[in-house]
Amino acid sequence: MTLSAFRRSAATWARRNLFRAPADAVLTITLGGLACYVVFRLARFVLVTGRWEVIEVNLKLLMVGGWEAAHLPRIAVALIVLAGWGGIIAGLIHGRRVRLGAAASIGMSTMGRVVDLTRRFGLLIAAVIATLALTTSRGPGLTAGGVVVGAVAGRLFGGWAGARGLPRKVVVVGNLVLAATPLAVYLYLVDAVPLAMWEGFFFNVTSAMAGIVLCFPIGVVLALGRRSTLRLISAMSTLYIEIVRGAPLFVLLLLSNVALGFFVPASIAPSKPVRAIITFAIFTAAYLAEIVRGGLQSIPRGQVEAAKSLGLSPWSQTTRIVLPQALRNVIPAQIGQFISLFKDTTLAGLGLGILDMLAVSEAVTQQPGFRGQGLIIETLAFTGFVFWVGSLTMSRESQRLERRLGVGVR
Amino acid sequence: MKGPADPIITLDHVDKWFGAFKALNDVSLAVAPQEVLVVIGPSGAGKSTMIRCINGLEPHDSGRIVVDGIELSEDIKNIQEVRRETGMVFQQFNLFPHLSVIDNVMLAPRLVRRIPKSEAERLAMGLLERVRIPEQARKYPGQLSGGQQQRVAIARSLAMHPKVMLFDEPTSALDPEMIGEVLDVMKDLARGGMTMIVVSHEMGFAREVADRVVFMAGGEIVEEGTPEHLFTNPRETRTRLFLNQIL
Amino acid sequence: MTTTIATTRPPLWRDRRVLSWVFQSAVFAVVAAFLLWLYGNYRENVASSGIPTNLNFLDNPASFEIPGNDFSQNQPVRDAYVEGILNTLRVSVPGIVLATILGTVIGVGRLSRNWVARQVATAYVEIVRNVPLLVLLTFTFLGVVLLVVPRIEEAWTPAGILVMSNRGIGIPWYSGGSGTTLVGVGAVGVLGWWLVARLRRRASERTGRPSHAGLLGAGAFLVVVATGWVALGFAITTPRVAGRQIDGGIRIDPSFFALLIALVVYTASHIAEIVRGSIQAVPSGQDEAAQALAMTGFQRMWYVVLPQAMRIAVPPLGNQYLNLIKNSSLGAGFGYFELTNVTRVTVGNGSPAVPAFALALAMYVGVSVLTSLLVNVANRRFRVVER
Repeated sequence: MTLSAFRRSAATWARRNLFRAPADAVLTITLGGLACYVVFRLARFVLVTGRWEVIEVNLKLLMVGGWEAAHLPRIAVALIVLAGWGGIIAGLIHGRRVRLGAAASIGMSTMGRVVDLTRRFGLLIAAVIATLALTTSRGPGLTAGGVVVGAVAGRLFGGWAGARGLPRKVVVVGNLVLAATPLAVYLYLVDAVPLAMWEGFFFNVTSAMAGIVLCFPIGVVLALGRRSTLRLISAMSTLYIEIVRGAPLFVLLLLSNVALGFFVPASIAPSKPVRAIITFAIFTAAYLAEIVRGGLQSIPRGQVEAAKSLGLSPWSQTTRIVLPQALRNVIPAQIGQFISLFKDTTLAGLGLGILDMLAVSEAVTQQPGFRGQGLIIETLAFTGFVFWVGSLTMSRESQRLERRLGVGVR
Repeated sequence: MKGPADPIITLDHVDKWFGAFKALNDVSLAVAPQEVLVVIGPSGAGKSTMIRCINGLEPHDSGRIVVDGIELSEDIKNIQEVRRETGMVFQQFNLFPHLSVIDNVMLAPRLVRRIPKSEAERLAMGLLERVRIPEQARKYPGQLSGGQQQRVAIARSLAMHPKVMLFDEPTSALDPEMIGEVLDVMKDLARGGMTMIVVSHEMGFAREVADRVVFMAGGEIVEEGTPEHLFTNPRETRTRLFLNQIL
Repeated sequence: MTTTIATTRPPLWRDRRVLSWVFQSAVFAVVAAFLLWLYGNYRENVASSGIPTNLNFLDNPASFEIPGNDFSQNQPVRDAYVEGILNTLRVSVPGIVLATILGTVIGVGRLSRNWVARQVATAYVEIVRNVPLLVLLTFTFLGVVLLVVPRIEEAWTPAGILVMSNRGIGIPWYSGGSGTTLVGVGAVGVLGWWLVARLRRRASERTGRPSHAGLLGAGAFLVVVATGWVALGFAITTPRVAGRQIDGGIRIDPSFFALLIALVVYTASHIAEIVRGSIQAVPSGQDEAAQALAMTGFQRMWYVVLPQAMRIAVPPLGNQYLNLIKNSSLGAGFGYFELTNVTRVTVGNGSPAVPAFALALAMYVGVSVLTSLLVNVANRRFRVVER
């Protein structure tokens, strides 16, 4: 394109998109000016005036709280193992689709692949690099590198294994290993550091994961119960769902702080993180139930009728025909609920006194060297940034998955 | 092509209500083994309701329904047995989209008749050949055309070795060029001696293969007879009016 | 299932109806047993610590004050609860209104043909939606209270009509009568609006000329309210700094202000997505058909697109409103005495924990159910009539 042609098309674009009407011009100038000012001030804060020393010094506290330094490598190992595990599962799913002819095995060139991954995870990678820049120790950097290697290796292996179609015995053993891995990692970590000491961002992430995993069976049962033709069961499910959905999570957390102890025998005194996770599970189960119910409603009645006509028992009808389809249809909504829970874990600090990342970010401003300087802005900004990156990345991936699946039951 | 005298399906003064609407009114019918019965009639006549009562998808409100000596009642054992002996093919195919074609056909034999996997797979492939689409075995229903899906649905029902096959407007949801392939499979079944009750508007099929044609309207059986008799010389006025509209 | 005249009655353990009842009863029994076990533990633990398990604590004196009110220490706890739920509503209702307005503007902005507007709106949504509300609220609270707003001695008085200090924010407010009277005047004004609008629409139908029902109705409303204002002796007072207090006007508690801003900003980002999604969900064929009928852009929006978009938007909007009401409970961490804070403080002062929180939960669930009912009514009004 010649320079004059470029200038012409740029001018056309500007005229169409920025200045089509007088009102447009006003809007462009005022909003544009305001936006530029905000971006400028923000950049100045991040790069020039921000006193990031408080983060540098306390990065470990913010991320993992009071985790004993000697056991930090365990977290690194756990992260790398889980990255590989996730990669393998993603690869297996893709590989299986390739084997059944539902997807092409070579979709993009390597360069295209790199560009695609950068677009998807660029923000996350940039944020990790920026955070690593704040620390001087090598551990976090090595861990980050290990995670990337683990994820890529897992994905490649999973893709290969899924596409090949391995003998039955191998598949069974492999599935068992995959299912047991998260539990094994959990035991490996809790063996070194008790649950009550899981703090910082680490607490936010793990409690969200525990919450969503535990709430799943309850939520599915509630959804099936609410749709049941048996009046009593439907009433009980509806009662649970409506009551829990009407309650603010914060109040439930406060309640669990003071009252959970009353409802269990005095011998079992659940620790604070356990109370938090139980509350998260009870709370999220009600919302998950509504999501699954939407999925159940999206299945044509004919599916159940066909299953009945073939003589399948009610149990088989539900577990083999109805639930697989229903749950698959609402994957995006389930991910959305997880993201929501992830953000809500920040309430654990205010509600139960747990040292989650938000609570730590407030506490470190009271340290002797940092008191009274208003550093809360920096720590809060950092915490908000971390959550923002995590939430945005997951949200974007969920949208991408939704487009890929071609389903969207809201 | 009538078999021995004892009917394999008996409906005895059957009534069915949907709320205040009476969908079946004193319906009595006897179907002999190996007989091919075609049910015609205007929409809302109760044809679908009747065959859905035969395999227990809808519970009937009064009267008796007996299938192969088993009476349909509140006994879940009876209901299960009847469902094992009857196969149903739906207008909307209702294949399971998350399972492959061969898994669709194998599922019920493995779960309900507890046939081991390799045997079930052989059975399924044999049936897919019979309906002339063995090459689609590993594909998913979403990848098949309507006619192919319906043939898979027929194979899926046949996998349970039913004594009776029920068809609820099997070709009404198909594009015209695919109706023929499905009807061919059904004609093969009929010639092979399967007892069939078919709700359909395909008069050509009825003329060719049916032993008896039943005309229903307003929840009742208005008239029945051989295809030659019913199509050329119907007794009742209602039958005549209906045939005039569609023939 | 009614009387099937079968020749043999099935044995009980295979009868479909019997089995369904047995199953239900079994599930109910298991759940009931579990609840009873919980309750048993509760009784046991409570008995050994001597805490009562009834609602008598509601009659005890509260022993705490609620800032911003005339609530005295000696009033019973039940009054504190009432004050608490009122405070919840005081922040939720304006919050819902403001969030809807802001959210709609941003949602429509995301669909604007102006590139700058689109980018700004998208950035707003993408940023705010993904930040935890508590982080946002902490920021807002710190911003409003501690860092930006000066101390009372050096209060900031922009334009001479506002007072902004860390003791509160003073805005001009009405005086000379009760709030109820003012609301009554407003109601009469709404009636006037409706009447004028009706008359103008009738006239427009007869003559075919535009009715301007909206403008003239609004005008009627203003006239009525102005007349009532003057006639009943209302006036506006502006706030002034007097020593360490603010005289005149009304003082907005800084934590209320912070909570309101955070709730509005956060909920608006969700509402923006709902508005955008519902407008995009209206099939483009609708707008095309309206264009083919030579309707102007505004007419297409107002008569064709928005009504259909509203239909889609009502349930998720209702959900967001519920979320806002529930999120108001976070004010408890920042000194705003809404219902959760009242509960927390009264438990801290010795009221029994479980009944106190149970009562608060019941009130939240009640508000929730009420809002759901209103949303259902709205939903039914907008429903498409189908065959």
